[in-house]
Amino acid sequence: MSHVNLLGRSGSDDQYELSAAVDVAVDSGVPHGRLLLQFCDAAVGRRANLAEIRAAVRRELGDTAAIEAAANIANFQRMVRIADGCGIPLDDRTKEASEGWRDQLGLHQYASAANTA
Amino acid sequence: MTTTIAPFSYIDTDWQIPGRIRDAHRRSWERLSAAGDWWTGAERVSIAAECRRASALVDGLPDPGAGPAELPEAAVFAIHRLIGDLPNVSRDWYDATVSADGMSDARYVELLGVLVAVWSVDEFHRAAGLPLEPLPSPITGEPTQRRPAGLADNGSWPPTLAAKSLADSEADIYLGFPRAANVWAAMSLHPDSVRWLNDLFHAHYLSWEEIGDLETEHRTLTRAQLEIMAGRVSALNECFY
Repeated sequence: MSHVNLLGRSGSDDQYELSAAVDVAVDSGVPHGRLLLQFCDAAVGRRANLAEIRAAVRRELGDTAAIEAAANIANFQRMVRIADGCGIPLDDRTKEASEGWRDQLGLHQYASAANTA
Repeated sequence: MTTTIAPFSYIDTDWQIPGRIRDAHRRSWERLSAAGDWWTGAERVSIAAECRRASALVDGLPDPGAGPAELPEAAVFAIHRLIGDLPNVSRDWYDATVSADGMSDARYVELLGVLVAVWSVDEFHRAAGLPLEPLPSPITGEPTQRRPAGLADNGSWPPTLAAKSLADSEADIYLGFPRAANVWAAMSLHPDSVRWLNDLFHAHYLSWEEIGDLETEHRTLTRAQLEIMAGRVSALNECFY
């Protein structure tokens, strides 16, 4: 979830709603954000509507962006397994910058929170 | 199940796959097929095959079959947990896994390096609606059994290499950066897994140089679009880090 920090830093103050990462009913404020989150949900959750959502991403954002989105999902499907498979601690700077929103987003309820000191 | 023809040609699709991605996938299959430090090429291909079996089991798909070499029981169990039961990966489980017959911390980290590479290449194909690439034929060779110097307990379960502790043979793994994020260093017990990660990380997302540059857009998707997706995939996997 450390990349939620980068989402916040990628915009001006409070430009993006970070809680959209855990609650898709929330509008992130990111252009096409809802559709991209639906793509994540469909791909990671093996949803029956994956082809339909992928086609919508392709139609609305274009081929290059759609391929980048698929690659981005693949990247973080990898990174979470490295993080959780090695029980890595939070980096000091990330810990300091994310204390507030980790509570706000309810991340301490994740089982993996016990592994990430 | 295996092939020797040029992999990842993407000729039967109307997607224009960027060369950055295609080439990294080809290099991945070359890495996969060769002996590592702790597993033979046949064992590494079998780790990949078991990764696909675990995914098929979770997805309710037919069993794609085992690879060319038999793996220790603890390795098979680890693959299935890391693919399909990630929230139940724990310190106790890790300790039991690396202590089991046929395993060690180094064998675990190399297994993880193979698993996450193959898994992410496959996940790209699944998300894009592309068929999975057949696994490569293994290349004959023996593992080096080389453990890097300078390993230390830096807070992760396996020992890792700090940037300041790199020997000449590993000097490239953090690309000259004076420090590496914990997730970057996590697999440094097996340095080639870090090199493989660097390659796929750049192909699928951004380079380690680009990640710190929030002022420049490096992809067609904006940085905010990339990061909201990163957060969502992490949340779906209940990943605290």
